[in-house]
Amino acid sequence: MVSFASLGFLFRFLPILLFIYFLCPARFRQWVLLAGSLIFYASGEPVFILVLVGATLVNYGFARSMVKLGEGFSLHEWQKRRRKSLMVWAVSLNVLALVAFKCLGVFVDNALLPMGISFYMFKMISFQADLVRGDVWIKPKLGQVALYFTLFPQVVSGPIMRYHEGEFDQEKILGTEQLEDGMKYFVAGLGMKVLLADRLAILWNDLQMIGFQSISTPLAWLGAAGYSMQLYFDFWGYSLMASGVMVMLGFHFIENFHHPYASKSIAEFYRRWHMTLGSWFRDYVYIPLGGSRCSGGRLAANLALVWLLTGIWHGNGVNYVIWGAVLGAFIILEKLVYGKYLAKIPVVGNLYVLLVIPLTWVIFAITNIRQMGIYFGRLFPFIGGAGIAVNPQDIARYGKNYGVYFIAGIILCVPAVFRFLEEHRKNPLVIGLLAVIFWVSVYSLSVSAGNPFMYLKF
Amino acid sequence: MKYLKKCPLFLLLFVTGALLSLAGAGGLKTIYAGQAYDPLTAPVLSVVFTGIKDEIYPWQIFSGDKALDAMAGGGEASPGEQTLGEGKEGTGLRKSRTVGIFSDTLGSVISGMEEEAKKAEEEAEKFAPIAPLRETTREEYLNHVSADIYGDAGVLRAGEYAFATVDESYFDDAMFIGDSRTVGLRDYTDMSERADFFCETSLTIYGALEEDFEGVGTVKEALAQKDYGKIYLMVGINELGRGTTESFMEEYTKTVNTLRELEPEAKIFIQGIMRVAGEKDEKDPIFNNSNINARNNAIATLADNKHIFYIDVNEAVCDGQGNLNSEYTFDKIHLLGAYNVLWKEFLLTHGVEGQ
Repeated sequence: MVSFASLGFLFRFLPILLFIYFLCPARFRQWVLLAGSLIFYASGEPVFILVLVGATLVNYGFARSMVKLGEGFSLHEWQKRRRKSLMVWAVSLNVLALVAFKCLGVFVDNALLPMGISFYMFKMISFQADLVRGDVWIKPKLGQVALYFTLFPQVVSGPIMRYHEGEFDQEKILGTEQLEDGMKYFVAGLGMKVLLADRLAILWNDLQMIGFQSISTPLAWLGAAGYSMQLYFDFWGYSLMASGVMVMLGFHFIENFHHPYASKSIAEFYRRWHMTLGSWFRDYVYIPLGGSRCSGGRLAANLALVWLLTGIWHGNGVNYVIWGAVLGAFIILEKLVYGKYLAKIPVVGNLYVLLVIPLTWVIFAITNIRQMGIYFGRLFPFIGGAGIAVNPQDIARYGKNYGVYFIAGIILCVPAVFRFLEEHRKNPLVIGLLAVIFWVSVYSLSVSAGNPFMYLKF
Repeated sequence: MKYLKKCPLFLLLFVTGALLSLAGAGGLKTIYAGQAYDPLTAPVLSVVFTGIKDEIYPWQIFSGDKALDAMAGGGEASPGEQTLGEGKEGTGLRKSRTVGIFSDTLGSVISGMEEEAKKAEEEAEKFAPIAPLRETTREEYLNHVSADIYGDAGVLRAGEYAFATVDESYFDDAMFIGDSRTVGLRDYTDMSERADFFCETSLTIYGALEEDFEGVGTVKEALAQKDYGKIYLMVGINELGRGTTESFMEEYTKTVNTLRELEPEAKIFIQGIMRVAGEKDEKDPIFNNSNINARNNAIATLADNKHIFYIDVNEAVCDGQGNLNSEYTFDKIHLLGAYNVLWKEFLLTHGVEGQ
């Protein structure tokens, strides 16, 4: 049920929640949503919901003290200092908890990592920082804070919405138009996840099945491209579903992806990919460190730190650290060396992104360093040698089997296409298309029992 | 009307959803009786979709005959699957039948001199069909357990044959029929330079003869056009969750008989189904090695060590516990490309020489 692309969510949880939410009086809605969110999380994590609830209460406690200290027209220095130290304590506790659970996950058992902790802890940290900065204007109440941290569309994988974006102090305006728009985003995301990402995932699985040492160089490149798209449509699709549900519930649409593959530099790519995470690191790490208003050396150090943290945040392998380091290196070089030239020449920037990003995704994908080396050897055979039992014709077979997903994926990567569909979303043809996408997705989910790898036959 | 303008997608999904639910609920006791359905985790309309996958369409609710057909097939809608479904008296399984294959093949041997006749008689006795020891129980069927109804008698008898080591030219007149495992053998060894491969992912014994393989046509067509000296067969993992050892064996026997008829001179190599790795074996209720072994024990009984041979590549690719060696596989099912050479080497040491 905790996956949006599941029959339980689509036909049980969501319709029931929406039904109650729409029918109950406006002042009770936030409680309905809070209860629903807790049920949602508990259905996936019956034990670790205690961590979420505990962290929520602790963070609210800090927030309350901070708000009390901040009451009045002008603040004394000691009040400001006290507030800041409270914030430092709260943030440190959150970071400590996150690091502790991550370590448990890495060194003891992956099952000890509570679902969504990386996301909701980041919400908690931003909340504390926003309070001190004055970005939270109205005194937050427990119900609102709890709702912000536990909101079911965001609790598992974001987007990392900021507290003020939730406008929790206002009663949500519900209407057929929001319901309709939200549903359209949701269906589009569902289709991307189920019909594109889950299918392309099988290609990557196939390459692992064959063994990287035995794939031809063209297939290695196809695999890198396929994985790049799989990740994109999986996460963009998920984000559209999450934000679509938020819109149905009367919130604003939170954009998490803005056509990243149309970027002209790596730095731009990450301003458009998982935008809420990127802006979180910018606002709560990079800028407090001095941002880019400092010397070249300091700037490079700031960026390196941000990107190492980004790497560590993404997963428990050495490969994620390498991935973050490589991206950091590219971004530092862009800032200090060739970025300005790149911006001047058309097309070159696009090609540079389309070449570098898939290669970095290969690092992201392969947790085993030796296997990663083998894969790069196949990508660049003049370094890696000939491979073992390579079938030079494999590309034809896989190109044919997966071509249709690549074509659909490439079309959707063109910003103008999505924009066109968005603008014409009231056109009966677009509505018909979305209905078809929805039911074909439900078909896929029904016959695979929720496991995309059930498509695999031997 | 106002709502139709304001939220057409919502209404469209709501109405189509309601219609599908009606169809699902309406057919739940009839055409969808064979579809797995858990009201706690899935909506009733999901049976309409799983039905479509099995070629059962909602409009069949209104046409009585077709609905019954579909039901008899347990939703599998495939030949050889109508063995279950009556469900009366305990198991409701069709009794396994002994097969006429051995009398056919031996009939041509018994001729001429008396001594030879006597020898042949002894042979015939030795290679008399092995009858199953018991029937699959209803519990085994319902839990997708492939019952080991034959024991290892067939495997032991087939193992008595002294196979020869051959060189690669041996495969010049060989045909390979198989599923994705055989695709691996074709794509990641040089075997396809000599032998002809009729294989594709998800092939089952039910489709082995009729399937139109991309670029090479059907097995039947190929046998009509070219004389093959050896026919290698490895299928069976895809149908583990389907039917029983009996129904699988029945179809397998039928297929081997047909191959014999179409190419009487060819030696038929029944290859034991390759096992899965230990990790998968422990977790998977269907694709596990005890199910694989049970079915291998069944098909091994078809070997007569004269025209039909049983060979088991598991000898070459399994670890001490009899599971597919986990170093040779990523997905616990298929050999990594580079390890298909072990299979090729195994085949080279399991040749049959002479006529």
